[in-house]
Amino acid sequence: MTCRDCRYFNNNPAFLERELPGLNALSSAYGSTSGENGICSKRDIYLSPVTRCKDFESGENKQ
Amino acid sequence: MEEPKKPMGWKELYLKEDWWAIYLGLGIVFAAILFFYTGNPFLKSLSVLPPSWTDSSKLIEHFSSQIGWYALQFIFWFIIFAISTRILGFRQSEYIPSFIFLYILSILTFIIGEYEPLSKNGFEAPLVALILGLAISNLIKLPKWMDAGFRVEYYIKTGIVLLGATLPFTLIIWAGPIAFMQATIISVVTCLTIYFVAHKLFGLDKRFGAVLGVGAAICGVSAAIAVGGAVKAKKEHVSITIALVTVWAIVMIFFIPYFSRFLNLHPAPVGAWVGSSEFADAAGFAAAVAYGKMVGNEEAAVRAFTLMKVIGRDIWLGIWSFAFALIACLKWEKEECETPPRASEIWWRFPKFVLGFFIASVVITVIASQYSLAEFDKVIKPELVKPIKSLRSWAFIFCFLSIGLTTRFRELASAGKKPFWAFTIGVIVNVILGFVLSVWVMGNFWISKTAQ
Repeated sequence: MTCRDCRYFNNNPAFLERELPGLNALSSAYGSTSGENGICSKRDIYLSPVTRCKDFESGENKQ
Repeated sequence: MEEPKKPMGWKELYLKEDWWAIYLGLGIVFAAILFFYTGNPFLKSLSVLPPSWTDSSKLIEHFSSQIGWYALQFIFWFIIFAISTRILGFRQSEYIPSFIFLYILSILTFIIGEYEPLSKNGFEAPLVALILGLAISNLIKLPKWMDAGFRVEYYIKTGIVLLGATLPFTLIIWAGPIAFMQATIISVVTCLTIYFVAHKLFGLDKRFGAVLGVGAAICGVSAAIAVGGAVKAKKEHVSITIALVTVWAIVMIFFIPYFSRFLNLHPAPVGAWVGSSEFADAAGFAAAVAYGKMVGNEEAAVRAFTLMKVIGRDIWLGIWSFAFALIACLKWEKEECETPPRASEIWWRFPKFVLGFFIASVVITVIASQYSLAEFDKVIKPELVKPIKSLRSWAFIFCFLSIGLTTRFRELASAGKKPFWAFTIGVIVNVILGFVLSVWVMGNFWISKTAQ
């Protein structure tokens, strides 16, 4: 289990473009370079979903 | 027990816009080849563009005779973009009206940009698109859902794939390594300058310094979000970097072309300068096309820009991202990092649209090699290359308008003095070094290479 499976992690591209103002002006959350990065709402960080931390909680992100 | 979710993997073939840009761009290139060999003028007619004008009767006559082709062209773009954005996950109730608005605005932009008294004074279509877009998004409040149709990256990536068809592959082989060396010197110096000013001088977080550094050094916002994810940057720090990159990129779109015009520079070194000192592909293309059009040699500026930006900087993003992920894991957060990053990330972060650019370049170069130079100018250029170039112009205008329409200065994150100055010092170093290397040191190289 990694951040991908955590309830605090969200990498939906539409959500990311809402949360990071200006992201779609000169880039995109739908491009290859953004990979599967997402936002952790628990720690308020932007990260790749290949890791996990002590705050991990299994479940679907509802945002 | 719950099963772990699987990574996206090869699903990116239909879930990432890079691949859709390849399908669309190469689809146009192969269709152009098919129509060329069968002698069918369909694509040539479909790629209609508003002409240069001073007398409005010429313009009215053009639209009266070509209105059917404009309608068909609209349907062509509309169907492809509607299907692909639907699969990417956009709501069509938002995308469709937004794209209709964008297409109408693109025609208006071409009409204004082709008005000779304006275009001769440096107000070509790319700058008109930006100014118009910025004015609409910042003075009139368009609904946010309309962003669905203003897909800056999708349009510029499609334009870059189409650009591959007009760039000889031999030029990429000969000039690519030089572009890589020049771009790498500038990128490393810029990134280290910002990192040290931000972290050592101003005491900002290391991760923040890294995100600011790559934002100015590699490919702007795309680099900031790739490396931001690799080093686990704070969300707020990514937002601030996006704001700084956007503001400076917009400034450079106007500064580099007008400053170069003031110095009366050749478009090839200016293209290389834009390629090493602009922060994003879309903004860089706007500056390079604008200057090329100002001085009547768009191809030289665009070719040098593409070599420097796409070959010299963009394609190495995966490696930068992997390197920072390693540094973050092995040095910055030794205790927390359970699994070191995998080298496969370099591939998954690779800007895939570049593959389409290479394929288009190889295919057209092979076809062109079967003709003499005189035949190339007489047959290949007008019958095969011109329709691709015209459709490329449309993709670029969709992009330039979208930059303006999505850049809402009031929504950008407020940066604070330290991040602002760390980034700005890096911008100054980057712009000066880019100018010295592109214009003074390598100027003649770029002029000779892009003339081929």
